[in-house]
Amino acid sequence: MEQWTRREDRRLLTGRGRFVADIAVPGCLDAVFVRSRVGHGTLREVDCAAARAVPGVVGAWSAADLAELPAVPYTLLARLSTEEAVAGREWPALVKDRVRYAGEALAVVLGEDRYRAEDGAAEVSCQVDPLPAMVKPSAAVDDSVRLFDGLSNIAFQGEAGKPVEESVWREAAAVVEGRYRQQLLMPTPMECRTILAVPEGDRLTVWSGHQMPHRLRRELAALLGWSEDRVRVVVPDTGGAFGSKSAAFPEFVVVAFLAVKLGRPVRWIEDRLESMLVATRGRGQDQRVRLAADAEGRLLGYELKIDADVGAYPHLGAGLPMQTAWLATGPYTTPQVHATVRSVLTNTMMTYPYRGAGRPEATIALERAMDVMARQLRLDPAELRRRNFIPPESFPYRTPTGRCYDSGNYVAALDLALETLGYDKWRAEQARRRTDPAALPLGIGLSCYVERSGGEAGGLHEFGSVEVGEDGTITARCGAAPSGQGHETVFAALVARTLGVAEERVRLVEGDTDEQPEGLGSFASRSAQVVGALLQHVARRLVDEARERAARLWELPVDEVAWSNGLVHAAESGSAAIEVAELVKVTGPLRVADRFESGMAFPFGSHAVVAEVDPELGTVRLLRVVTVDDCGVVLNPVLVRGQAFGSAVQGIGQALYEGMTYDEDGVPMLASGLLDYLLPTFTEVPPIEVKDTCTPSPSTPLGAKGAGESGCIGTPAAIVNAVADALRIADPDLLQMPLTPDVVWRAARAPKLQEVR
Amino acid sequence: MKITLTVNGAAYPLDVEPRRILADVLREDCGLTGTHLGCEHGICGACTVLVDGEAVRACLMFAVQCDGSSVRTVEGLAAPDGEPHPLQRAFSAEHALQCGFCTPGFLMVAAGALEADPNIGDDPERVDGLVGSNICRCTGYEPIRRAILRAAREQQGDRDGVNR
Repeated sequence: MEQWTRREDRRLLTGRGRFVADIAVPGCLDAVFVRSRVGHGTLREVDCAAARAVPGVVGAWSAADLAELPAVPYTLLARLSTEEAVAGREWPALVKDRVRYAGEALAVVLGEDRYRAEDGAAEVSCQVDPLPAMVKPSAAVDDSVRLFDGLSNIAFQGEAGKPVEESVWREAAAVVEGRYRQQLLMPTPMECRTILAVPEGDRLTVWSGHQMPHRLRRELAALLGWSEDRVRVVVPDTGGAFGSKSAAFPEFVVVAFLAVKLGRPVRWIEDRLESMLVATRGRGQDQRVRLAADAEGRLLGYELKIDADVGAYPHLGAGLPMQTAWLATGPYTTPQVHATVRSVLTNTMMTYPYRGAGRPEATIALERAMDVMARQLRLDPAELRRRNFIPPESFPYRTPTGRCYDSGNYVAALDLALETLGYDKWRAEQARRRTDPAALPLGIGLSCYVERSGGEAGGLHEFGSVEVGEDGTITARCGAAPSGQGHETVFAALVARTLGVAEERVRLVEGDTDEQPEGLGSFASRSAQVVGALLQHVARRLVDEARERAARLWELPVDEVAWSNGLVHAAESGSAAIEVAELVKVTGPLRVADRFESGMAFPFGSHAVVAEVDPELGTVRLLRVVTVDDCGVVLNPVLVRGQAFGSAVQGIGQALYEGMTYDEDGVPMLASGLLDYLLPTFTEVPPIEVKDTCTPSPSTPLGAKGAGESGCIGTPAAIVNAVADALRIADPDLLQMPLTPDVVWRAARAPKLQEVR
Repeated sequence: MKITLTVNGAAYPLDVEPRRILADVLREDCGLTGTHLGCEHGICGACTVLVDGEAVRACLMFAVQCDGSSVRTVEGLAAPDGEPHPLQRAFSAEHALQCGFCTPGFLMVAAGALEADPNIGDDPERVDGLVGSNICRCTGYEPIRRAILRAAREQQGDRDGVNR
């Protein structure tokens, strides 16, 4: 085992991983969906007759053929949606009468294999009469065209904090404003969405690459009208998720329903072009901000107004922008902060958590405004931040926007970032270049963030157990479901360390609702923080249980029985001792199961970027990226570092390359797939230095905070600030992400700061 | 259409539709599911295998084009006795994989280059080019670059040791 860094590595490196598409089930049918080619329209007709005549096609159905097909469920978890938002707005799994986003499924074809199912899908004829497609909140917010007749396109409104008093704006030495677009991003895990539904007797086994198997079980059972124990959800190896694989999607509803209806195994393996059309996407906010400070640079008030693009149905993410509102305060002591949210329905696929999930949007808005403020006050941007950080002794700190930060040392993270970058040296180089007409302009950008990990109230617990077998093996079970985070390695090591036994003795079982009856899953950077704490708790209870059993056996008081390294022994005499496996043989199965609840935690950090801009080409070259993240106590430094690095590259993707664009019919302009949507490749990866500080969380016994979303949250604003700093334009709002050569080239030609004065 | 593929040294006599892509035939007809499909339009490289020693996107090639060819997949990377390939060890040592879905493609790109040019470890820019040819969403690529260099230099070291 020592030649593998992680337990997962052996199978994943030798081709023996097992992803859903790898599971061969005899007689399994492949599902292929026929999808709308317009973003908004009235469905007139779907004709599946010709499809049914195609050899190898087992069936083809539109909504009209499946009157009993259930609708897509909605989620109230973490207030992602609300009863009010979904009331009167049904999301049919197959379109009934109105298409509301491009790619929405009009029909499904089942074939003996995917080739035959696609043959059939090509024969389905559909007629959709187009309606005006609205692909941005600004187009939909005035309700001139309504997605749902008689209902506003504004599906949700919320606020955090109280309105900033007018006197603050009036009396402040400086007030700056900004408008920022948080473009729509595709999470793009390398494995698209998958589901395989296998009916067996009166039960249904569902295999899916998924983050929340118990939620999927609950939602599928409910829509089938079954008790939960009749559905088993198994999550095998999963090829990345980044927040995007935790719901029951329309295709899942159709596959489960048809598998049961036909009594045959059915699977849907989403392909990439399909995923680019209809998988959930992240971000999608139009923001307006106002920030006030006194002459010394002390922040007085901050206002954030969000028009969020939540997609065509409010079921998955109508409330998600509240994550941004609740974190609007950032790491600063600003006394008055007010954030408002309008979630607007548009003719696009649903917005849903994508790595960062609301926190990048909060950080980017505030940190861009901070740089504008620094320029206005002629203060160094690092100094402006330092003057406003919540000091380390002020925790727990209750923010004006309703969060209670657990712990932090924000200035330490910033200082380490500046030192690692060589901030003064780069400022000197910047000054030199400004006097050298031949030199390309260079900018330095900072971004200081605080985020939330663990989940929201009501979702901060997890279930699990630890069991000792007669052969001495120890099995830990939990409700988590990994998609690349190395749980088998990290959690087995944690349980082994807690019990004082060799790691090889401990095995982790997760992602199977028959093995672990209750669970929440892996989302919101919660697994180390919440599941780790649970497993430590359960392992400690197992030690207590073993000691109690031995005490009864030996007729000793329990406090005279000790546990060390898997051996239960009498503390004093030294004569009585029993290996825990022997204890199991004598006293019966030894298993402790429990539920454990943690508090929210607030990881934080500072990112710093040096960027060189070519004003003639509009290109941005990142010379240095430094990330300093603090996720409290780290369980496995190698894995956390890997998360931080990979996350930073996704953050670079948002800043410079990625973004959805739509044509007039509301169809994503992605005809050439991943040649049109630019994910960072190695060529785009600059030198990145990943560092950390450690401020333990008091909210959980391990002291661990969530890790892995830091780069998506911290890096983008640092990049944009660096480009703005290089170009010194009077109106930094011209720099809207992604900073493509076109955007940068135009901005480079805009009036400069000093020209305005 | 009747064809014979030699995959990882074993002959697979197959009867396949001409339209079936190599990746599907490897996965479904040969049962070798280590080759993954990440985009099915030739960009991401997750499905990369070696055909007669050349790295190809198995989503852009028909199986019938490989009739009589020798195909190597991730399942054929380790030695017959199960000893891992230096690349497999190096990927683990450098934590060059997280979810592992793209990993077989990167391994095969690197394996093909390493076999064609055992001195690739002396040419970091070529290694950069290899890493830049596929997509990974988890690692940020730098650990993959280090892993390929590590394996290349280890092989060079072994060979130099033998030659000495």
